[in-house]
Amino acid sequence: MSDDEPRHDRPSDTATGRDVTDRTGVETARIEAVTAWIERHALTLLALATAATLAVMLYVPVAIVFAEAVVDRGSVTLASFADVLSDPFFVGELATIAADPLALSDHLAGIWGWLTAISISATAVTVPGIGISIPWFAVDTPSLRLGLFGFTAYQAALSTFASLALGLPAAAVLAKYDFRGRRTIRSLTILPFVLPGILVAVGFYATFGRAGTINSLLGVVGLGPYPFIEWNPLAIVIVAHAFYNAPLIARVTVAAWEAVDVRSVETARSLGASRRRAFVDVVLPQLRPAILAGALLTFIFTFMTFPIVLALGGLELATVEVWIYDRVSRLALTEAATLAILETVISLGLTYAYLRYESAQSGLSATGSPPPREPLFPNLRSVVSPRRLAIVGYGLLALVVFVGPLASLVLGSVTDGSGFTLRHYAFLLDRQLEGESFQTLPVRAIVNSLLFGLATLLVAVPMGVVVSVVTTRAGRSGTVVDTLAMLPLAVSGIVFGIGLLQGLVFGISLPGGWRLQVTGTVAIVAAHAVAAYPFVTRTVSPQLDDLDPALVESARALGASRGRALLDVELPLVASAIVAGAAFAFAISIGEFSSTVILATGSDAYTMPVAVERYLGRRSGPALAMGTVLLAVTAASFVVVDRVGGRFEQ
Amino acid sequence: MTDLRLDGVSKRYGGGGGTSPDAADEPGTLALRDVDLTIRDGEFFTLVGPSGCGKTTTLRTIAGFEDPTNGRVSFDGDDVTGVAPERRDVGVVFQSYALFPHMTVAENVGYGLQFRDPPTGTSRDDRIEHLLDLVDLAGMGERDPAQLSGGQQQRVALARALAPEPSLLLLDEPMSALDARLRESLRRQVKRIQTQLDITTVYVTHDQSEALAISDRLAVMNAGRVEQVGSPREIYREPATRFVAEFVGDNNVFEGTVDETTDERSRVTVDGRTFFLPALPDTADRVTFCVRPDALSRAAEHNRFTVAVETTEFLGERVRCNGRWNGRLIVLHVDDPIDGRSADGDLTVGFEPSAAHVVDVE
Amino acid sequence: MKRRTFVGAIGGGTLAGVAGCLTRDESGSPNSGDDLSGSPKSGTITVATYDSMIDGTDPAGTWLKEAFEEAYPDATLEWTTAENGLNHYIQREAQDASLEADVYLGVNVDDLARIDDELGDGGLFLELADDRLDRTDRIRDGLAMGDPHGRVRPFDTGYISLVYDETVVDAPETFDDLLDPAYEGTLLAQNAQASDPGQAFLLWTIDAYGEDDYLEYWNDLAANDVRILKDWTESYYGAYMEEERPMVVSYSTDQVFAAAEGYDMSRHQIAFPEGQGYANPEGVGVFDRASNAALAHTFVDFLFSSDAQAEIAQRNVQFPAVAPEHVDLADDFDQYAHEPPEAVTIGYDRLRGNLDGWVEEWARDRTGL
Repeated sequence: MSDDEPRHDRPSDTATGRDVTDRTGVETARIEAVTAWIERHALTLLALATAATLAVMLYVPVAIVFAEAVVDRGSVTLASFADVLSDPFFVGELATIAADPLALSDHLAGIWGWLTAISISATAVTVPGIGISIPWFAVDTPSLRLGLFGFTAYQAALSTFASLALGLPAAAVLAKYDFRGRRTIRSLTILPFVLPGILVAVGFYATFGRAGTINSLLGVVGLGPYPFIEWNPLAIVIVAHAFYNAPLIARVTVAAWEAVDVRSVETARSLGASRRRAFVDVVLPQLRPAILAGALLTFIFTFMTFPIVLALGGLELATVEVWIYDRVSRLALTEAATLAILETVISLGLTYAYLRYESAQSGLSATGSPPPREPLFPNLRSVVSPRRLAIVGYGLLALVVFVGPLASLVLGSVTDGSGFTLRHYAFLLDRQLEGESFQTLPVRAIVNSLLFGLATLLVAVPMGVVVSVVTTRAGRSGTVVDTLAMLPLAVSGIVFGIGLLQGLVFGISLPGGWRLQVTGTVAIVAAHAVAAYPFVTRTVSPQLDDLDPALVESARALGASRGRALLDVELPLVASAIVAGAAFAFAISIGEFSSTVILATGSDAYTMPVAVERYLGRRSGPALAMGTVLLAVTAASFVVVDRVGGRFEQ
Repeated sequence: MTDLRLDGVSKRYGGGGGTSPDAADEPGTLALRDVDLTIRDGEFFTLVGPSGCGKTTTLRTIAGFEDPTNGRVSFDGDDVTGVAPERRDVGVVFQSYALFPHMTVAENVGYGLQFRDPPTGTSRDDRIEHLLDLVDLAGMGERDPAQLSGGQQQRVALARALAPEPSLLLLDEPMSALDARLRESLRRQVKRIQTQLDITTVYVTHDQSEALAISDRLAVMNAGRVEQVGSPREIYREPATRFVAEFVGDNNVFEGTVDETTDERSRVTVDGRTFFLPALPDTADRVTFCVRPDALSRAAEHNRFTVAVETTEFLGERVRCNGRWNGRLIVLHVDDPIDGRSADGDLTVGFEPSAAHVVDVE
Repeated sequence: MKRRTFVGAIGGGTLAGVAGCLTRDESGSPNSGDDLSGSPKSGTITVATYDSMIDGTDPAGTWLKEAFEEAYPDATLEWTTAENGLNHYIQREAQDASLEADVYLGVNVDDLARIDDELGDGGLFLELADDRLDRTDRIRDGLAMGDPHGRVRPFDTGYISLVYDETVVDAPETFDDLLDPAYEGTLLAQNAQASDPGQAFLLWTIDAYGEDDYLEYWNDLAANDVRILKDWTESYYGAYMEEERPMVVSYSTDQVFAAAEGYDMSRHQIAFPEGQGYANPEGVGVFDRASNAALAHTFVDFLFSSDAQAEIAQRNVQFPAVAPEHVDLADDFDQYAHEPPEAVTIGYDRLRGNLDGWVEEWARDRTGL
């Protein structure tokens, strides 16, 4: 805001009717009037643009596939839902209820019978491989047929808990302590997010496999090898889900933590609260919306997990998405769409419940300065304090879970059967220099990824902010809109891909033999933005909700349009959330695979994950090398994104 | 500057239309019922009432933050209903100050000058300086709002609202977050500035004594309705409704049956005790009247009754006694000390018929 | 590549993205068998295929384009790939969207069954005109894909076999051997729903035990702790190469890669239970809406030339489709690529209408839900 702003930058001059009698004449006045009109309606225009983008890139493609579930030869039917809901394979015990919903007393008796058969007993469990017995409580429940949906939800719930358990300590360390490399580590927490599932699977095998890194290390001291993965495939799947999602939880939580007002903590302390009490009573309530948002996203993601479960867990841990993939590849779209709709209904139901909670949590925090960070290791003696020891222990765990798979991938890219080699990178170089135009060139993939990432950020941030602004403080109808706006996260990626293919790539038939097709760069960026903006909304909304509404009203009374008030007042105050959301948007774009590969068909708009997939033949080396490039480029850009973003936050 | 009129303004909440601190956000809540108000140019006008009465909603409707469900708002005869707040040329000060925490004091004050030019011949900086001067905060421009005390912050908010020379100043409970002493001094400052600038001002408060002290005229609101509009004197002395009588100042309200009316006076029975009031209309059967605590005197010859005093409050020259008569709460003021003894126990007082103000007859 | 070129290319792409929004449907009329559109020696054909044909290490695609354009100087070959393979073209055909390709390289037998389920019998591809194909009689016996409509010819084949670590287990002689306690917890397989070798292995067991008994065999296999992972890559590069288990369902050409990567051969032994390998021939077909069906036929015939057969086999690491006298393979290829004594495969007739049910029943059994 400078004092010598030129007049024409203040379009409301004309709006208030002052000083239009300019000697430059009517033309200028008209332009100014148009500019003024645009500025006054900027927010509305942005909302319309967002709605249009969502309609073309999301609702139409998804509707095309979903319609398959309910339209059979031109007439609407729910038969396919009845089929799924009465099949115990899909819904387990619930099938009996769906088959005969009115036999209430039978159902209640069944539930009661199950409950009374639960028993809890003390027992001893032998830790496999080490031979130490530890006491354990065994909860003995009579077997309950979960069905595909039940099991999918069960593993998602476990994964959510694991992600919280791994992510929250990271958030605490990053938010509360200062140490060398803190910012960089915070930046790098995004890395797991962009990694194609196949590389995560290979990385986990390379870390936890019998011949993997950990067993090699244990071998040095004469232990192992232990079959970490086969001991409990479900546990490994859950850890892999945590690998993806704990960083997400950590990031949103840190963003909220940095918005906690130190004064509220100080007030509590001055009123006699201990550190712990002040945390529980004052800080935690301010973090809870962010933590729950992270948990919700994690649940939805892991509810729709696909490559990881099958790759690490095997077919006995199949989820709904596995079946959707099968149906789509067999072109049985009716069943695929039916399953996908049920998935979406469950995800959106949870989202709605969460949003009701979130909107009830307004006005908790003023924006302010976060509590100062304390040094992690102020001196050598502090290392052995219980708190510090716990942090060190967590650090080691994080090293194994997060750094292990990533490092193993990098290691895999520079080795072959005879040891160290650079020939996988030589392949990339050779492909870049000698490759034909129809082949996938590494540098183009890198450049495309970065450009799309940047473009996505530029599109997704306004989209996400607009949705936040429109839905915040709009009561129940706002919650409904907000829930629908979360649709990109709640739709099966496979189904979304098919929708894009049938709707946009093949084109939508219009009268007169015309066909509307949307492919290539613009479509990819739009699809990425659609996938990414919910992250902006979810990080921005809670903080926006916490702002005093009088701030915007003051600005408007002073002459600022709604859009201007947003820009001048609200956005600077929720900058940390916007930066966090922007980082997610960038990461989503870099890591996005399923829609990119469909929209890039027949063009050279491929990205790094697409290149990884395309290089993956019977040899793994080139794909691992490309995967390492993906990691390196992402890491470098995130350090930059967070540094640049950090400036806005101040 | 500006005449302000509200004609038949109603506001119903529900269907997710918006929120107001005044009204619960349940569907179909009627926050304003057919409010008519005329506020004159240069007037200091106060909306007063208990919380939830619709006073803040009225102010927000004037500012343009809420659109009325029915009725119209006009400034100087121009209908502004539906006009966006930024195009209404109003200045607003909120209870929460709502200073922009990421801007300095000067930036806060100067914010509105981006959209509306400072008065001809003044630069933006001059204007900011002038306003900080006006609110006794000269030299504080470079500070962050968080470094200021509550009273200082509220003065910044006032300076910010006044900077673009709004034609209307709206103050929404601006003092209620401050302590009593600060509140009084700030109130005087606000009044001084208002007089000096001669700006039409609408002031919202739940504090009737503040409303009486500061206003040229005020409107007492209850349950979304305007109960009475008038000068502080009129409102205090001649409350139009029982609600106003009870809400504004301490008051003792009595209901009775009219036994007999002559040319000079009426005889009224309240709880079996006979009182004499100035002559009521012939048709009156029942009457509601009130007597201010100051008018209840131990020396009065008429209308005497005995109050069982329960608590006393020392006010300086006088003592306020709270007691009961026939189960009714009675408030009265007596000189201190009362014949050398405390005011505990029974106290017999009376009032002159002319001191009774009739609120309602049936 | 220079920076400016990038910017230009990206800018162009952006324009295309916007400008390419509205198109007029081409009125592609189906070719009939005897009257092929286009010239047999000139023009452009677009060949659709899968990624590794053109993008892997040393892919066959680059050689094919170069050699074909050299043999027919007036012809141009364009490659294209689609994410979901042939399904992409089935769906396009179903929606009457333009196909934007003339030839598909890499059709499996089960693809044919699905085409006919979705588009009606004999859909998508035209019946190849034998009088335009001089070399297809070189195709070995036993690779015929059994298409009653004569739409595809196999141009190479792979064999599914077991790859095992000879230091841990012996080669299983029969499928029943795999149920032996000696093989408990040793086998890695793939999900037949999503993986080609996984489906091939399942079909192999169906061929061996019949459609009434294969599920029981698999129940026994599960009791002996078979592990079914997602796809070949995870099971091979994830689990097998990290020594989770000593045996994996894979290709009989495994040693070709092992030799190239310098792996210890003892972990890359090939077993052919029952003396068999399951053949997965890959076919080529010409879309019936091809704009240049004549040149497409020329290309199909070109695939069966001796040079092309050798290059495709060695670069794709598959076996040639033609009899040995028509192809000359490098010695080390012969040394490391093993052919089973007997090749089995389930043809079009048995797959059609059965495959989906077989896989579904198998998969439901395996989930344990």
